[in-house]
Amino acid sequence: MADPLELAVREQFHDPAQQRETSTVAMWVFLITEVMLFGVLFTTFTVYRIGHPAAFDQGSAQMEFWMGAVNTAVLICSSFAMALAVNSAERGKRLRLAVYLLLTIGIGLVFLGIKFTEYYLHYQDHKVPGLNFQDSTPDARFIEMFFVFYFIMTGLHAIHMLVGIGLLSALLLRTYLGSFNGEYHTPVELTGLYWHFVDMVWVFLFAIFYIPGAHMR
Amino acid sequence: MSQVTVSVRTYAFTWATLLALTLLTSVMGLLDLGTFNMVAAVLIKASLIAAIFMHAFFGAKLVRIVVASGVMWFLILIGLTLADYLTRGLLPFPGK
Repeated sequence: MADPLELAVREQFHDPAQQRETSTVAMWVFLITEVMLFGVLFTTFTVYRIGHPAAFDQGSAQMEFWMGAVNTAVLICSSFAMALAVNSAERGKRLRLAVYLLLTIGIGLVFLGIKFTEYYLHYQDHKVPGLNFQDSTPDARFIEMFFVFYFIMTGLHAIHMLVGIGLLSALLLRTYLGSFNGEYHTPVELTGLYWHFVDMVWVFLFAIFYIPGAHMR
Repeated sequence: MSQVTVSVRTYAFTWATLLALTLLTSVMGLLDLGTFNMVAAVLIKASLIAAIFMHAFFGAKLVRIVVASGVMWFLILIGLTLADYLTRGLLPFPGK
């Protein structure tokens, strides 16, 4: 493994600060493309919701509300652990960085566990469009549409979580190998940005899928 | 280096606020306390995550411009789309 300080400045950059800022801005630009990816889905969902508000409320009433609420709290805790990992990296504390990265991964896996349990419960309830969707109410077609949005959007979010857990595992390995120190830890920060972004997307997903029908349960 | 280290205390305060707001939005949903309050609480949560956890508040001006432009493009996307869907049927058209 190369000396961390040697890794710190690539030849196209003037100094470490410029290199760090370039990477940070690039990561934000990538996250903006993610905003557009999820943004299209949120916009389409909104259009359908405006067209069929009653059916979408009925769909929302069939969510596992408390699992969604607990999962929101779980993901916020995982973001907090990630923030502490970035803080440890900035202070050059390697052991603490590794512990917080492990904690972030662990809490992320708890989130996915709860999420997939929910999917299983929906499967048992015959609420998976294209597989076993059953509903005899007059609005069935649009309740099914609600579930199509639900599985596509939370599924895309879950894929982002899996990618994030992969990135965090790579960071953990590089921490173990000694790639980061108080001067150079940009990958930790950028992965942190990604992880917080995925957390933020879930905050909106919880708001549009779980809350509108919560009082009708 | 010119980087800002956000203190653990600030992170902890943000974390506690986010958890409190999650509880608040859940209770508001169960009691059906109105869409506007809910939207406000969710936007506050998202802003806290971006500003503190993602350092947008402490970051370089360029980062803030990128964030603002992202929000702006999303508002164009949803704004123009809804300008169509929300206003359909407002004016009478012959044959409709």
